[in-house]
Amino acid sequence: MNAFTPTTFIEVVNQTLDYAYGSVMVEGEVASFKVNQGKWVFFDLKDEESSVSCFMTLYQLRMPIEDGMKVVVRATPKLTKWGKFSLTVQAIKPVGEGSLKKAFELLKKKLTDEGLFDPTKKRELPKDLARLGVISSTQAAGYADFIKIMNARWGGIRIEVAHTQVQGIDAPDQIIRALKYFNEKSEVETIAIIRGGGSADDLSCFNDEALVRAIASSKIPVVTGIGHEVDESLADLAADLCASTPSNVAEILTPDKKEAKRRVYEVVERFGKTLVERIESEKNNVEDKILRTKESILTKVDEYQRFLESQMKILIAHDPEKVLKQGYAILDGKISLGNVVKITTFEKEIKAEIKEIYERE
Amino acid sequence: MKENKTLNQKLAELEKSTEWFYSEEFNLDEAVKKYKEAIKLATDLKKDLDELKNEVEVLSVDFSK
Repeated sequence: MNAFTPTTFIEVVNQTLDYAYGSVMVEGEVASFKVNQGKWVFFDLKDEESSVSCFMTLYQLRMPIEDGMKVVVRATPKLTKWGKFSLTVQAIKPVGEGSLKKAFELLKKKLTDEGLFDPTKKRELPKDLARLGVISSTQAAGYADFIKIMNARWGGIRIEVAHTQVQGIDAPDQIIRALKYFNEKSEVETIAIIRGGGSADDLSCFNDEALVRAIASSKIPVVTGIGHEVDESLADLAADLCASTPSNVAEILTPDKKEAKRRVYEVVERFGKTLVERIESEKNNVEDKILRTKESILTKVDEYQRFLESQMKILIAHDPEKVLKQGYAILDGKISLGNVVKITTFEKEIKAEIKEIYERE
Repeated sequence: MKENKTLNQKLAELEKSTEWFYSEEFNLDEAVKKYKEAIKLATDLKKDLDELKNEVEVLSVDFSK
């Protein structure tokens, strides 16, 4: 039997470990936690009897971890080239109420200090929503409630659903990928992150630092509906709007169909009334115009009548018969000596020869 | 959605139509035409509200990778 070299032996052990375990989940209490060179994270994971060394990059550390916290890690077991056994950790998250609360408070303070939850940075959601991106598990009860209420309240919205895990150690990365997808490859106007109620541990993925930062930096406004009214996650604080439940997200995003119908009925009723009022008003206007025209004609007729009467008086005053009656006569003919002219009086017509002509004094 | 208008846009359009009846531009010749248009819009709206559903598409993208 050929002997192994230390290198080949370690390689064989690692191959065996990889074949036997691949990726394992290990839960325990953190001890000797330290960060080296701002990049590498070392700690031990222990229980009452045993302890195992763990190694990970700082980039993979998504929640604040301290000694004494209970955590679960997803890791691959490995024998290092120095012959030391350790777990190379891909993901870590606190478990148990105390650890979760501690991690939550530490991260909340850090991100609040950075201004990530600044209320002045919140954007308004589009009022007339046509395209919506939803990040949720399609198997979750909260998702079903959300879709049901969206359909009951409104229509005509294109809803693109990114199916992701919404609990567990892998959920944050999946949700981050979905956020990236909507921001880069979709035309949705709002993103809703939906998840029904659950235990503090179930909802702890929404306190993942990378996820909270991804929500805060989304170009598209984000609304969250995670858990129940009493649950608060850091994802909620980073979102532009935080609804109390998935159903409440649907209520916030859409108007009520019944209310819209009522508005249509009101407008139609107002329309009818307005039209009748305007027709009535136009009718009154026409009647007024007819009345005014009639009055105007009558006034003109009256004026004309008075004018005629005055003209008649003048004519009567200048009637030749009336003048003859007063003793005057009309002389008709050429005034020259020896000429015969016609003289008309009130009662007679006379022919007379002109004997003499002289100027009046 | 018909004519690519959202329900809210149609509602706003309907409400705006009423304003014309109160405006200086009102005249009886056009009023009947406008009234018919508005009634048609209201009928479409009611139909939309009764029949329109949201279009839900579950993306085929695998977000676990």
